[in-house]
Amino acid sequence: MDIELSSEDLTFIKEVRAFFEENKIKKDEDYFTWRNNWFEKAKKKGGWDVPKWPAKFGGPGWTPTQHYIWEQETTKATIPFDIPFGLGMLAPILMGYGNEEQQERFLPPIRERTVNWCQGYSEPGAGSDLANLKTKAVLSEDGTYYTVNGSKMWTTLAHVADWIFCLTRTDDSGIKQKGITFLLFPMKQEGIEVKPIITLGGAHTVNTVHFTDVKVPVENRIGEEGKGWTYAKGLLEHERTGLAGLSRSLFELENLKDLARTVTRGNSNLMNDSGYKAKIAELEIDLMATEYTELRSLASASAGAELGPESSILKLKGTEIKQRIQKLTVEASGIYSPAWGEKSIGFPFAKGGTTGYLNSRYFTIYGGASEVQKDVIAKKVLGLTKRSSK
Amino acid sequence: MNFELSDEQKMIQQSVERFVQDNYDLNTRISLSSDDLGYSDDYWKSMAELGWLGLPFDESDGGFGGNQIDVLVIMEQFGKGLVLEPYLASIVMGGGALKKGGTESLKKEILPGLVEGTKQLSFAYAEQQSRFDLEDVITSARKEGDNFILNGQKSMVQNAETADHIVVVARTSGGQIDENGITLFLIDAKSDGLSMDHFPTVDGLRASEIILENVSVNVDRVIGNVDEGFEILQSVANDAILALSAEALGAMEVLYKDTVEYTQQREQFDHPMSEFQVLQHRMVDMFMEYEQCKSMLYRATMESVQDPKSAQRTIHGLKHLIGKSGLFVGENAVQLHGGMGVTEELRVGHFFKRLLVIDAMFGNADHHLQKFTTY
Ligand SMILES: Cc1cc2nc3c(=O)[nH]c(=O)nc-3n(C[C@H](O)[C@H](O)[C@H](O)COP(=O)(O)OP(=O)(O)OC[C@H]3O[C@@H](n4cnc5c(N)ncnc54)[C@H](O)[C@@H]3O)c2cc1C
Repeated sequence: MDIELSSEDLTFIKEVRAFFEENKIKKDEDYFTWRNNWFEKAKKKGGWDVPKWPAKFGGPGWTPTQHYIWEQETTKATIPFDIPFGLGMLAPILMGYGNEEQQERFLPPIRERTVNWCQGYSEPGAGSDLANLKTKAVLSEDGTYYTVNGSKMWTTLAHVADWIFCLTRTDDSGIKQKGITFLLFPMKQEGIEVKPIITLGGAHTVNTVHFTDVKVPVENRIGEEGKGWTYAKGLLEHERTGLAGLSRSLFELENLKDLARTVTRGNSNLMNDSGYKAKIAELEIDLMATEYTELRSLASASAGAELGPESSILKLKGTEIKQRIQKLTVEASGIYSPAWGEKSIGFPFAKGGTTGYLNSRYFTIYGGASEVQKDVIAKKVLGLTKRSSK
Repeated sequence: MNFELSDEQKMIQQSVERFVQDNYDLNTRISLSSDDLGYSDDYWKSMAELGWLGLPFDESDGGFGGNQIDVLVIMEQFGKGLVLEPYLASIVMGGGALKKGGTESLKKEILPGLVEGTKQLSFAYAEQQSRFDLEDVITSARKEGDNFILNGQKSMVQNAETADHIVVVARTSGGQIDENGITLFLIDAKSDGLSMDHFPTVDGLRASEIILENVSVNVDRVIGNVDEGFEILQSVANDAILALSAEALGAMEVLYKDTVEYTQQREQFDHPMSEFQVLQHRMVDMFMEYEQCKSMLYRATMESVQDPKSAQRTIHGLKHLIGKSGLFVGENAVQLHGGMGVTEELRVGHFFKRLLVIDAMFGNADHHLQKFTTY
C-alpha cells in the first residue's frame, strides 16, 4: 500500500495546471470564441479535447491515475462547458460497435462540438425498466430504411439537439431485451415533434419527443438489428460510474463551507454553529471514505483487474453526497431559501441553493434509480436471488 | 382523554375539505398563483362568509371564540390543497398579535374588518442577520414626542403586498439579541418612508423585503407594552408554528397517499411498482412519519391550549419533527414517482416545495432541535 504519486504523475499535474492557467478566459473575451480556441489548443496537447477517448481514436490514452488527476483539476479550473451525450455516451458506442464509415462520419463533428446529440432511450412506459420500450422501427421491404413511430420521454436537450441516438423496437416476439435496434437520425425533420417538460426548478431541459413515420436509412443503424440492448447496456454502465462526481463534490463542500462562513450567527458565523458544523463534518467523513473507495476502484482498474465490488457503490454514495451538499446549502440560506424569481434576495447563493436542491433530486432517479442500483449490487455482488413471484 | 373533534369542529373540517376539493385542483392553484394578486379574492370573501376568518377571535371582537384546535382543523385541510389565501399571515400572525396585545381601540379598529375579509394584515419580524432567532432584532424605534421613529429592514415578510397594515417588530431598547427591549407596532402599509420589494417564493406564494426609513408611528399604535413585546412575538410564532405544522400534516397526507396510489398504477418490470418490497417499506416509513407528526401536533396543540408556557418545549419538538419528516416524506414521494416526481405536472412536486418552505419558516428542524436541548 502506497499513496505516493509517481514523479510522472506529479509532472502531469503541473502540466495540466499550467495549461488551465494559460488558457483561462480573459476579461471581455467572447465566450464561444474562447471555447473554440480552448478545444483547439487542448487538441494540440495530444487529445486533451477528448480526454476520455482512447488513443486509437485521437484521445490522450491516459492512465487511470491521470484521468483522476484531470477530474480533480477540472473542478478547480474554469474550463468550457461540454454536453455529455455525443462525447461521452454515443462516441464509445460508435467506437465499439459502429462500422468504420460511421466512425468517420460521426466522430469528427462530435469532437469538434459542431453537432449536438440527445439520448432517446426512456419512454413513458420504459423508465427503470428500459427494455420495455415500444417505439417501433419497421424495415422497408427493400431493406433500405426504417420507419420509426412512437414516443420518447425525458429526452434532455432534445429541443436543441441536431441528432438523436435512439433505441427502437424491431421485434416484439421474444424476450424484451431482444429485438431492440440502435438508430441514429437527425432531429430537425418532418415527423418529429418536441414538447417541453418543465421540472421543479422551473427549467426546461427535458422533453417528450414524438415520432410519426420518421424515415431512417439502414446506414444509420449501429451494429446488427435486434442487438441494440447489448450496445446500450455497456454505455449505461459507463454513464453510472461517471455520475458519482466526487471531485466536484469535494470542491463544492469547500465552497459550501465558505458560504456558511458568510452567514452570521450572533458574533460568529454558521460554520461555528454546533448543529450545522456537525452535519458538515458527517458529510465530509463520508466523502473522505468515498474518495478512497473511488481510488481503490481506480487502482484495480490501473492494474487491469475487473472492477471490484467497491465500484458498484460509487454511484449510490456519490449521488447521496451530492444531495446532502445541496440540502445543507438550503439550510445555510436559512430564512431566504424560499426566495424565488428574478431578483436576488438575502444571500447571493440562496436561489441557486434552492434550485440546486430541487434538481439534485434527479440524481437518485436517472442513470439507474438508487433502488435499482441496490438490486444490482444484491444480485451481482452479494449473489442474492429474489423470492420468486409464485 | 379524548382526541375527537367537537361536532362544530367536524362541520368546519368537512366544509373546508369540500372547499379545497372543489376549488383547489393543481391547475387552478397554478393559475391563481401567477395572477397579479397571487390568490383569489373571491375565495377570501367566501372564507370570510363561511366564518373561517373570524374563528380564532373573541366574540367581543367579532369572532367566534375559537382556539388553536380550530385553526389546526382549517390549516390541515388547507394543506391538502396548498391554499394560497393569506390565512396564516393575516389571521394567525397579524390578527394573533392584535388579539394578544392590541388595545381595545386598536382591536375595534382592525379586527372586524379582518374577520369580514375587507382588511388584511402582515407580520414583519425576521431580519437578515437574525436567521431563526426571534430575539435578534436591529430595526430600531426611537421615541420622539408622541411618536416612534422606525428605521431598519425586515425580511421575507408574507402578504405584505396586499396588507393594509403591517405589524413590525422593532427594538426600543437593549442589545441586538436581548429579549427585553422589543416592541410591536401596527404600521399603515402606505406610511411615508416605508418601501417594499415584492418577490415570489418557490412554493408559489409571495413575500417582501421591507425597508423602513424614518417611518413615524403614534404611540397608540404600539401592540402590548413598550419593551415587552417579545412575549407576544414568541406567542405569535408558536401559533404560527402550530398552524404551519397542521398545514404540513395535510400536505404529507396527500404525498404519502398519492405515492401509494401511483405505485399501484405504475408498472415496471411487468409488475405494479407497489409490489416491490423495498418500496412498500418506504411507503410504510412515510406513513409512520405522517402519523408521528400528527401525534406531536395534537400534543403541542393541546398543551398550548392548556398552558402555553409549558408547551414551549413541545413546540420546539414539533417544528423539528415537521421539518425533518416533511422533507423525508417529500423527498421520497418524489423519488418513488421517478421522473414524474420532478415535473411541475404532478402535484407531488408542488407539495414537496411547500414542505421545503415550511421547514425554513419560524426556524428549521436544526434550529428547533437545538432549542429543545436548552430546556
Ligand atoms: C432530469 C432528467 C433527465 C433525463 N434525461 C434523459 C435523457 O436524456 N434520455 C433518456 O433516455 N432518459 C432520460 N431520463 C430518464 C431517466 O433515465 C428515467 O427517469 C429513469 O430511468 C427512471 O425512470 P422513470 O422516471 O420512469 O421512473 P420509474 O421507472 O417509474 O421508477 C420510479 C421509482 O420507482 C423505484 N423503482 C423503480 N424500479 C424499481 C425496482 N426494480 N425496485 C425497487 N424500486 C424501483 C425508484 O425509486 C424509482 O425512482 C432523464 C430523467 C430525468 C429526471
